Amino acid sequence: MIQLCSNDDPPVSFTVPRKAVELSKTIKTMLEDLEGFDMEQTPIPLPNVDAPTLELIVKWVEQHQDDPPPVEKPRVEDDDSDDSDADDDQEPEVVIPEWDKKFLPTDDEQKNQLFKLLNAANYLEIKPLLDIGCKYVADKISGQTVEWVRDYLNMENDYTPEEEAKLKEEIAWAEGL
Amino acid sequence: MANFETKVGRLQAENDQLRRTLSDLCERVVGRQLTGDLPENFLEQFSQLPDRPLEQVLRFLPARQVAQMRHVSRRFNHLIRKCSKTMPKRERIGSVLFKRKYSGKLTVKWFDDNDSEILKTTLADDVALSELFRFIRIGGRIFFSDGLSAADDVLDQLSKAWLTIRPDLVVFSGDLSKTSRDSLRAFLVKVEPTIRRLLFQNADNIGHSLLSDDVIGAAGRLDGLMVLPNGWYWAKDANDVVSDINIGDDTLLSMAEAGRVSSYFCVVDCSGITPGGIRAFIEKWMKQADTYAVAKSIRCELRCELIFCKCANVTPTTVEEACGDLLRKETEAGTDQNIFGDSIDMEERVRYIAKCPSNRRLEILFHFYPFLCPFISPPGLNDEDSDLD
Repeated sequence: MIQLCSNDDPPVSFTVPRKAVELSKTIKTMLEDLEGFDMEQTPIPLPNVDAPTLELIVKWVEQHQDDPPPVEKPRVEDDDSDDSDADDDQEPEVVIPEWDKKFLPTDDEQKNQLFKLLNAANYLEIKPLLDIGCKYVADKISGQTVEWVRDYLNMENDYTPEEEAKLKEEIAWAEGL
Repeated sequence: MANFETKVGRLQAENDQLRRTLSDLCERVVGRQLTGDLPENFLEQFSQLPDRPLEQVLRFLPARQVAQMRHVSRRFNHLIRKCSKTMPKRERIGSVLFKRKYSGKLTVKWFDDNDSEILKTTLADDVALSELFRFIRIGGRIFFSDGLSAADDVLDQLSKAWLTIRPDLVVFSGDLSKTSRDSLRAFLVKVEPTIRRLLFQNADNIGHSLLSDDVIGAAGRLDGLMVLPNGWYWAKDANDVVSDINIGDDTLLSMAEAGRVSSYFCVVDCSGITPGGIRAFIEKWMKQADTYAVAKSIRCELRCELIFCKCANVTPTTVEEACGDLLRKETEAGTDQNIFGDSIDMEERVRYIAKCPSNRRLEILFHFYPFLCPFISPPGLNDEDSDLD
């Protein structure tokens, strides 16, 4: 068993089966690097994860610890200056399983908890969890107006009117097709 | 006892060091995303998420909405642009046509499969062409039509790494005086995965240095290549060179493996093509196993046409000398119809036909007639604004 500690003061500790915790690529790599140390006696501090989020993470990894490992694809680093042709490498379709639908904090008042969960899944490199969380957010904002999306995501319009006008011209072309 | 205390102290120190190491490791990983003390209201907003989850959310959106999401905020716009290669793109086939009237403005038109115009825009000075196509996957046909539509600045924009351009046909029929080898080559490299037919169709100012085997070779394996400089039809005789096209046997030979039912190599004014190159082509074409297999499996005839018009080293006599044992000669004379349907006297035409055991046919001709050529009419030919200013 492995102990994980939240970033709270005082930290909240969770004990998790090693198999489950290794769904996190970050922790798995860390454990492999520290092979030989008695990790069962050494709590692993997670400075970016608070207790409620860590509780969700633990619940998710315990539920999915027996899942077949996801197929790893090398991550394509996007960069305008990169000449590699990656445009056929589209993201595979992600379907949110029933258990996960109930698990995700999807109520509007839990929105911030969902974003914290995405952040933690990203930090701990739990790709399947990150995928389903991102898919949920994408489904939520799909088909909505720009204003609705800004409101849902608590984002501010930081464009100048001139920038918006230019952008509108570029985008109008794609929308007309 | 002292030894025991020393041992405990050492173990305690190791334990402390391990804790620090673990903490450092965590922070090192986090360092790419978030570092330092976390505020009380940490992650109160979605926008405070690191790039990766944001990118992932955007990738799951429908292609149409991805472009709209650029309006949300500067950060969204930056992210979407940065990741545009892997963002969902709208799939578009049909035809894209570029025109640049001599006033300098570039007009872009999009046509559907039936050549009906879907969209037309004339680029404002501060809108980059590559931005129009950033979230569209372009397939089908690309026409560089009137004026300087294939000038370097246009080709350079279309060669940007983030664009997805997958045409099977590219036609250059404008003025190529402002087109450089480097820009043309970069563009052909960009379209190489899908392009099968490349046409320089009545193009103006094809400079001697513009086309060469290595530039055409950048397009990869082609099934059709046509190079007709504008004015070729009015040339008086074989010595009246309109444009000295610098294409040689290497380009010809590379097309011997064309896998289509119909393939063609039609050139004017190419002094680099030699009868020896034509013989090598015929021998390679006849041995082409893939084509042979295709020919056996289908009922229609696989046809390959080589047309050499006013090519200094390629005449019926030189071809017969070099390849006569592989070819059968035919001649035609009499009257024919021009493109307007009028009867015209036809000078004697010589053609050579390769002897091939399967239902494949290779013809070598020495005359270019518009109604025999694989001309491709650009879409929207009858538009009211098709003429230049």
